Amino acid sequence: MSHLVFVTIIGAGILLCLLRMLKGPTSADRAVAVDTVATVTTALLVLLAFVFKRYVYLDVALVYSVLTFIGAVAIARYMEGGL
Amino acid sequence: MIVFQTFLVLVMIVAALAAARFGDLLDAVIACALVSLMASIIFYFLQAPDVAMAEASIGAGLTTAIFIFAINRSIRYEENEKTD
Repeated sequence: MSHLVFVTIIGAGILLCLLRMLKGPTSADRAVAVDTVATVTTALLVLLAFVFKRYVYLDVALVYSVLTFIGAVAIARYMEGGL
Repeated sequence: MIVFQTFLVLVMIVAALAAARFGDLLDAVIACALVSLMASIIFYFLQAPDVAMAEASIGAGLTTAIFIFAINRSIRYEENEKTD
């Protein structure tokens, strides 16, 4: 039952970030919104590893957080102008 | 949980439409990253964590970086096509 509460809160977070990604006046707003979705998603993956009772799935969250960081750094360097 | 998967698919569809409609190509790349993220979570829900890991590494990391290198070498804003 508590899983439903967790999943609802995480879904609300993803929805709000999606709205900011659609509305955002500048590209920086959109980049930060997608990066926030990546962070929330990492929490979701850890939570699902707990729900499914398979702790091998935690590796996916690790790889996920490291690799989305690379994308965020690439976007930030491009917007800074120093790529 | 099936409701949440439906929600993820809807987010994915909205992000894909946004990627198709944005005139700024950097915004389109960011929306593509969101599509890839959602695809990765859906693979994870379908009990395929290895596929989810590959999708996260290739889709969210490599594709975004490569597209940004491509935008850096070419133009950022989409030009209106001349219809003559």
